[in-house]
Amino acid sequence: MASNIIDKLESLVPELTSALGQASSLEEVEGIRVRFLGRKGLLAELMSQVTTLAPEERPMVGKIANQAKAAMTSLWEDKVTAIKSQKQQHGLEIFDPSSPSWRPDLGSIHPITKVTREICSVFTSLGFDVVSGPEVENDFNNFEALNMPLEHPARDMQDTLYISDSILMRTHTSPLQVRTMLSRKPPLAVIAPGKVYRRDSDLTHTPMFHQVEGLLVGKDVTMADLRGILTAFVHKVFGQDIKVRFRPSFFPFTEPSAEVDMSCVLCGGTGRKDENPCRVCKETGWVEILGCGMVDPAVFAKVGYDPDEYVGFAFGLGVERITMLKYGVGDLRMFFENDLRFLGQFA
Amino acid sequence: MLLSLNWLREFVPYTGEVQTLCDRLTMLGLEVEEIRYPFAPLDKIVVGHVVERVAHPSADHLSCCKVDLGYGEIVDIVCGAPNVASGQKVPVAPIGAVMPDGLAIKKAKLRGQVSCGMICSERELGLSEDHSGIMVLDANLQPGMALAEALNLDQIVLDVGITPNRADCLSVLGLAREVAMAFNLPLTMPQFDVLEQGEAFENFTIDPDPHLCSLYQARCIRNVQIGPSPQWLRYRLLAVGLRPINNIVDTTNYVLMECGQPLHAFDGDKILGHCLRVQCAQDDMEFTTLDGQKRQLTKDDLLIWDAKRPVALAGVMGGANSEISDSSSTVFLESAVFHPVSVRRTARRLGLSSDASYRFERGVDHICNTWAMNRAASLMAQLAGGAVAPGVARSEPRPFVATHISYTPAKASTLLGLSLTNDFSHQTLTQLGCQIDDTQLPWTVTAPSYRLDLVREVDLIEEVARVYGMDQIPATLPAVRKTLDDLTLVDPTYDFINEVKDWGRGVGLAEVVNYSFVGTADLNKLGLSELGRVHICNPLSEEMNVLRTEIAPGLLHTLRHNMSQDNVRVRIFEIAHAFVHDGSCDTATKENNRLGILLHGNRFPGRFPYTEGTVGYADIKGLVEHLLLAIHVGSPKFVQGVGHPYLSPEVEIQVQGQSIGRLGKMRDDLADFYLARHEAWYADLDLDLLMHMRGNIVFRPLPRFPVVRRDMTFIAPHDLAIGDIIDTIMALQEPLLEDVYLVNVYEPAESSARNLSFRFVFRHPEKTLKDKEVDKITARISQHLLKQLPVHFS
Repeated sequence: MASNIIDKLESLVPELTSALGQASSLEEVEGIRVRFLGRKGLLAELMSQVTTLAPEERPMVGKIANQAKAAMTSLWEDKVTAIKSQKQQHGLEIFDPSSPSWRPDLGSIHPITKVTREICSVFTSLGFDVVSGPEVENDFNNFEALNMPLEHPARDMQDTLYISDSILMRTHTSPLQVRTMLSRKPPLAVIAPGKVYRRDSDLTHTPMFHQVEGLLVGKDVTMADLRGILTAFVHKVFGQDIKVRFRPSFFPFTEPSAEVDMSCVLCGGTGRKDENPCRVCKETGWVEILGCGMVDPAVFAKVGYDPDEYVGFAFGLGVERITMLKYGVGDLRMFFENDLRFLGQFA
Repeated sequence: MLLSLNWLREFVPYTGEVQTLCDRLTMLGLEVEEIRYPFAPLDKIVVGHVVERVAHPSADHLSCCKVDLGYGEIVDIVCGAPNVASGQKVPVAPIGAVMPDGLAIKKAKLRGQVSCGMICSERELGLSEDHSGIMVLDANLQPGMALAEALNLDQIVLDVGITPNRADCLSVLGLAREVAMAFNLPLTMPQFDVLEQGEAFENFTIDPDPHLCSLYQARCIRNVQIGPSPQWLRYRLLAVGLRPINNIVDTTNYVLMECGQPLHAFDGDKILGHCLRVQCAQDDMEFTTLDGQKRQLTKDDLLIWDAKRPVALAGVMGGANSEISDSSSTVFLESAVFHPVSVRRTARRLGLSSDASYRFERGVDHICNTWAMNRAASLMAQLAGGAVAPGVARSEPRPFVATHISYTPAKASTLLGLSLTNDFSHQTLTQLGCQIDDTQLPWTVTAPSYRLDLVREVDLIEEVARVYGMDQIPATLPAVRKTLDDLTLVDPTYDFINEVKDWGRGVGLAEVVNYSFVGTADLNKLGLSELGRVHICNPLSEEMNVLRTEIAPGLLHTLRHNMSQDNVRVRIFEIAHAFVHDGSCDTATKENNRLGILLHGNRFPGRFPYTEGTVGYADIKGLVEHLLLAIHVGSPKFVQGVGHPYLSPEVEIQVQGQSIGRLGKMRDDLADFYLARHEAWYADLDLDLLMHMRGNIVFRPLPRFPVVRRDMTFIAPHDLAIGDIIDTIMALQEPLLEDVYLVNVYEPAESSARNLSFRFVFRHPEKTLKDKEVDKITARISQHLLKQLPVHFS
């Protein structure tokens, strides 16, 4: 009786080996485990017969059974490991790194926004606050308070779109300076980004464009400070090697006034690019990027600041121009066509 | 301002490089925008000597000439002009020359005779309209000499940008002053004599409006012969962009360009009644200017009148009734100073900006007035053979008063951040023509009569800085001082808008920027109300004549552009102001920051592994929900509306009980109009409202006990909204029901009902829920639903 069970126990191992040998999937291997080692499997069935043996036979048979179980478990585990490793190997073999992805759509920020932000961040890092305001303005804020009374020839510098005699589309973001000065007391340092409007449309002008204007008012502000701030701006946006030039000019709301040129980003200030005349600076080596000056005392008088007590400076720059220079965009109108192939490049 | 270098050199002996001059002027604030070569087309034209002329053997009107082109080169030229003759010096276009009209000169045969060049008329050279014959040059000229040189043409002309404050530089004289100062050269005024002869110009009354005309004077030049001006004058005017007319008119233009004082020549015989008055028009008066245009006047327009009628629009343009004609023989020469604002108003209103009005608007030199008048009178006598009558008719209601300005030299250094010496200030201001009393501080500086822009100390500081070199100013960084209040008063708009823009980029939308104005037709097309529109009174075009009352038209323009470029998958957003009339605002316009989102085309990029399918309601709604979650304003409600002008279906978005915008599908006819190829879904949100609604983030501790999930499927009619089912469930206010959402929809074909599977999520805050407890709640919910709604279980 006992030898019968022992024979059967001993035959289990080769049977399992043979069964595992034919198996190739984890599911089959699991089936084999259940068949041999499961609660109702072959081993369990043989073990249940042990109780029918004489007590003195039991320990030996039990020992053999345990050995068989250990051997089978080990064989089974090896097989599982082998299959898993084979599976992983197979996975590696069929893995295709070039297969296409689930790639979320790439959104984009309009280049004008991108550059406006870059400009603003230069100034906010220096302590300026960003202010916003209306795009439809009244004559006082846009012209009168900025030392451009009615019928002043300086109004010719900005062809204006009118809503009525005294209401207009702001021609610059300078009215925000006026609004700020009317509502706050010095010292102050603000920048005003935004849309502005002129009655002008050709290859190099669009009736709407964007400006960033800055204003700083304090007690001992100098024109050297203005130059410092603007040099910092040019260096941060265009690079440390760019030179900055101050040239006298005229704006009704600043005195003295200056145009700021920077050395040409395309030709490096030489005026020639690849032995041809530079198209960006027209051979001058300089490009005009902004206007600035010391706040005209007449402007302070209009907003109720004491011109004898306070000094300040203001500057204004065109975002489209800076963007065109920075990215080499040649056609101004592309900014407002919103071609997705154009916008996509500014993701 | 076009400045001829030759002309300039008549005032200042500048002999340096042209580029050096341009650079210096630019750095003085007189930006040289361009160097022009007005006679460049004549570069190849040379002086030729007609050595021999014989009649063409086979053509009556042609001549065969042998022409000496200098340097021993004698060529055959066939010429058709009647006046060609042997011995003449003539302009010749040799082979290879290109005429101003583009004609290239080549070797040719005319009726069998070889011709190697062309003898030119003035018209062919672009010098005048004269084509009656060839141009005959001074007999003393050397053959082979360049024509431009032979005629002493103004070959180099600088286009100088003059800022509105520098009226004094709108003349050769003014720029010459700057050049003299910059290069430390002497300034020489042209010398002339006024030879007065004949009957005196007297008993002539001048009666100016004292407010609008501070000086009016006139001279009379008799027995003038009207005719073309001499070559030098005509060509000089051409070089600076003026069209020669006749010797009298050209003289007034010449003196205007020379010293900046506009002059006007009347035909003296047409001035009635020995008087000139300067007085305003009446409303609705008509007046014909010398360009033949009938002008409608107002009472603000200043006129020159004779005893009976108006004869000129003061400072703007003369009248047709008194203009110089070929038969004129007496000239009344006006030299006046008119009020800048008055001239400007009239010139602008009539759209009639002239060289004269441009200068009057900016202010002319009162003191130079007499010089200009005499200079012109002298030239007229010389060029038109006239006699200047003795005497001047003159009235000066307001003589020139010089401006005295206090100036503290140290202030310039402080403002500019430079250390300037007192000597430098003194020297500079003196060179600029100022008188300085420096016996005490502050100095008293008297500005010259031609510098009307020098009024205040800061104007003088600018002058000193300009001459010192603004580029010498060093760069320092200021300390930005602020108050504590400033830190909390910062306007949040810029940051909030940027946050939303970053959100848009993050969810795969492209930001677009459109014009704030569109055409009335665009707003009408969308069915937007005509009330509240803000119109532009002087629009550039009909397509840009009104501000967007909603921003949708802009996004639709973008859609159309991209459709035309075959960019079909459009996922865009724009943040911009919408403008609506509001009389209570100080700008009469209420501006509102709006966010517009437009989706069109495939939901996914249309490639493996993505599925096909175009965008729909779920896409636009999902984006709106995503944004509202991202900015923490609370959960939205979507309520179907009716009657929206351009969306159908239309869904109102409510947050915290307020309507914050709308979303929906663009009406089909609009989508077609804007070339859409699929459905276009649109959302429009009020960012100003959202900015104020956004809440703080409130931290909640994480739950400690697990959830139990149960799915239930109902059969519901198609017209029962999913939201109604969820609302009905939520109305029970089951405290342990944490969430409920739709997990599946099955819509059997040809059935009016659909199967909706919901997942219910339950959680107890303080213990693990048992199945039995959950069973009780789900039973309550399903009974409630069966009772309240037309649903049943399968």
